[in-house]
Amino acid sequence: MTNRITRRQFTTGAVATAAASIGLTRAEAQNFGGNELIEAAKKEGRIVYYTADFTEPEQVIIKEFNKRFPFVKVEMVRAPGGQLITRIKTEAAAGKLLADVVNHSDRGLMLGIKDVFQDYAPPNAKDYRDDVQVAPQLWPKTTLGWSIAYNTELEKNPPRTWMDLCKPEYGPKKIGQVVAPSGGTTWTRIMFERQVLGEDYWKKQAATQPILYPSGAPTSDAMVRGECSIAVLLYNIAYIKKKDGAPVDIIFPSDGVPLNYYAAGVTKASANPNAAKLFLNWNMSDEGQAFHIKELGYLTALKNPPFNPPGYDPKVVKPWSPKFEEYVKLRDQWIEEWNKTYGYRQ
Amino acid sequence: MTAETAALVAPRETARRIPLGWLWSAALLVLLTFLVIYPVSMLLLGALTNTNPVVDGFGVLDISLSNFITVLGNPNVHFALANSLIACGGGTALAVIIGLTFSWVVVRTDTPCKRFIAAASMIPLFVPPLVAAVAWSILASPKTGLLNTIIKWAGIDFHFNAYSMEGMIAIFGIYYAPYVYMFTASALRNMDPALEEAAEVSGASAVRILFTVTFPLIAPAILSGMLLSFIVMLGIYGIPAVLGAPSDIPVLTTYIFKLTNWSPPLYSTAASVAIILMIVTGFLVFLQQKVVSGRSYITVAGKAFRPGVMKLGAWRYFTFALAVIYLVVVVVLPTLALIVAGFRKFLFIRDVHALFDLNAYSLIHFQRLFENPLAMRSIWNTMEVGLITALFGGVLAFSIGYTVNRTQATGRRAIDVISTLPIAIPGLVIGVAYLWAWIGLPGGLYGTIWILALAFIARFMPDTIKAMSTSLLQIHKELEEAAWICGKGLIGTIRTIVLPLARPGVIAGMTLLFILAIRELGSSLFLYTSNTMVMAVLLLDYYEGGNVGITSAFSLVQTALLAVLIGIAHFLSRGGASARVGGTS
Repeated sequence: MTNRITRRQFTTGAVATAAASIGLTRAEAQNFGGNELIEAAKKEGRIVYYTADFTEPEQVIIKEFNKRFPFVKVEMVRAPGGQLITRIKTEAAAGKLLADVVNHSDRGLMLGIKDVFQDYAPPNAKDYRDDVQVAPQLWPKTTLGWSIAYNTELEKNPPRTWMDLCKPEYGPKKIGQVVAPSGGTTWTRIMFERQVLGEDYWKKQAATQPILYPSGAPTSDAMVRGECSIAVLLYNIAYIKKKDGAPVDIIFPSDGVPLNYYAAGVTKASANPNAAKLFLNWNMSDEGQAFHIKELGYLTALKNPPFNPPGYDPKVVKPWSPKFEEYVKLRDQWIEEWNKTYGYRQ
Repeated sequence: MTAETAALVAPRETARRIPLGWLWSAALLVLLTFLVIYPVSMLLLGALTNTNPVVDGFGVLDISLSNFITVLGNPNVHFALANSLIACGGGTALAVIIGLTFSWVVVRTDTPCKRFIAAASMIPLFVPPLVAAVAWSILASPKTGLLNTIIKWAGIDFHFNAYSMEGMIAIFGIYYAPYVYMFTASALRNMDPALEEAAEVSGASAVRILFTVTFPLIAPAILSGMLLSFIVMLGIYGIPAVLGAPSDIPVLTTYIFKLTNWSPPLYSTAASVAIILMIVTGFLVFLQQKVVSGRSYITVAGKAFRPGVMKLGAWRYFTFALAVIYLVVVVVLPTLALIVAGFRKFLFIRDVHALFDLNAYSLIHFQRLFENPLAMRSIWNTMEVGLITALFGGVLAFSIGYTVNRTQATGRRAIDVISTLPIAIPGLVIGVAYLWAWIGLPGGLYGTIWILALAFIARFMPDTIKAMSTSLLQIHKELEEAAWICGKGLIGTIRTIVLPLARPGVIAGMTLLFILAIRELGSSLFLYTSNTMVMAVLLLDYYEGGNVGITSAFSLVQTALLAVLIGIAHFLSRGGASARVGGTS
């Protein structure tokens, strides 16, 4: 009998050493895909990440990911939804798709390019809701919920429900709204308004003469600055402002919270598939999702959330998500109707 | 070789000299085909179909005019077009008034501190449109603008409203006046004063001389500056996006942006709108050429002269005050607004007292900006791409400008027309066209700094050529002919005669190209990758992320960098660029 170390023993030892060097226990490493994946990711050392989410929260996520896995350099390309899809389609068709990981807010558009993605499932796949995936390889890394935010310096009697937003006392030009054609996230809210709040909701709400903004970000900025005192906003956008100390408070309306699930996956063209999977695995893990909720005000598609943001109790606020077939089928017609009702020129 | 190259200048002289002139034109045409015709063809193809030529291939294209019919019948497009024409027309009128006034003040009057005025007149060029608009939204938002807060505190019943058509016209006008200034200051400086002196001897008043002799003499420069500023305004996205959106005043660029952002994006419709924009602009270019053609605007000849300087007496302080006010409006106030927004934790300012609450200020936005590794990388990339664009674009623009304006080379009309085409294509659409056109080409161009630089060179070629051509148009051919008689070849003549005389225009053109490349946003959006991120894109990311604090902080960094770089360029060129164009020497 000799004391020679076999290749297998050597690899196992090296991986264990690698895991230990970044402070992971074996169980923790398994949560993120296991030691072998971590070691392979370390060798690749980088990923290119395409996202439709905003730069700032994404940078915060990357920074946190790098606390766990400092050896994976995440190079990010951020673009609005429509532009990102065009870029992906064109790059893929030309055989030059640079992205390892894609994260997009519009599941309808992502379904259209599902063949770009390879088979992938996070280690905790079974912990996720089944109804939010549009394709087996696309996962709800990011979950957003709509809320009502207001400037606490200007608004002492804020609306508590969506129906409150139809009251004349909140007009004219006091409410900031994101226009319906702005993208998949807003389209979810528009569907909710019509299907849950009633067919005449838009008409009643438009009567308050809200200020229309092209997207959520300028709306939140306008609300903080006092251009409008109330804003219909994604919770995470307002949450960051509040967390930083801005004069902002946020309410999850009791008559329902429309939810939008992103779709994220690893591309077939990925040059760094292990690092890509590790990045998504960490994001999809309990640890990653808890960070999303606590630091950035996202929600989660986990069946059992680690916790919820303040004011979000799914039993009270009635979370709502669209039926996917309707999400695709109704869009054009309803958005056109919304544009007419709100006098928005498209 | 020398004799053969002269064929470019006078191809009729001998038959054997023709091939080289033809080869030169062919080389330029091939280059222009790669840079302009091919991407524009992809754009046209996109407008005539509902497919992405790269994704769907050419085999399934269903060519029809349906996109054009839809767009032309859409009242919202009519509305956006009308708004574009009003905003850019009004802005151009204001830019001409400001630009012409300052060029006259700097070059032809004895106003004090003319170097300072010349420098001040060029500063708005450094400011990206998005930054200017953000700064003015902070200053003149009707509800919470800093100026309005101060006016309210002073008890004055008045308020500014940047979110209006008047607001857009004003911002367009004050920020695009340098385009007019660059052309007219150069022309005024190079003008032979003999005609003015003759008018003066005949008893004409100073004002009469100004409007009947001076300005008509520099008409091509005024027209070029006017046209360029109008067309550049037509393609600007940042100003109408920030100032027009809250009041629902769409223009063509914001309309096109909306179409590309739609889910799913409507690129074919966007391409159709862009083609319409190209037709409108093409008509304007044609009009300008008709006006300019058939007249002689030669003002630099083989005779030494010095333009006359008008003594204004006490009015010189009035002209100086005008310059100071302009500087305050375009530089001081917006910079103060950016400083307030960049250093203040939040931009909610209840009243004037809150503005001076030092507890509300911190370095947090700068810290967050530089914590992002993309910030430093974008700065480096931007400088690199700006330099490449200015150097290669400058050489190409001079070559084209010289070929078109100073030679009888075969195909020069075609070269002129093709190189003017990109003027009318908004950056955003050009970005898509270039993505479609170049991503499939072999050679690994996609994903590099070079694809950005080539897009910028193509996009700003008309601007650069026009900037350089104005100088070339003013040099009398007798100077080159004298060089040929002395035995100089074409290259030697260009090197020893044309370039030194046209140097202010050439350096101004290259500096302009550098600045435009650094500021360019639209065409970068589809061509940058994680390795080639540029400042303009990151700035938009921050703006779209709703963080006016970091946007302002980054704007300050970008403005400071630009100012330093332009200062260095100015120093290295020993009075080239802005000072040569607008200086007093």
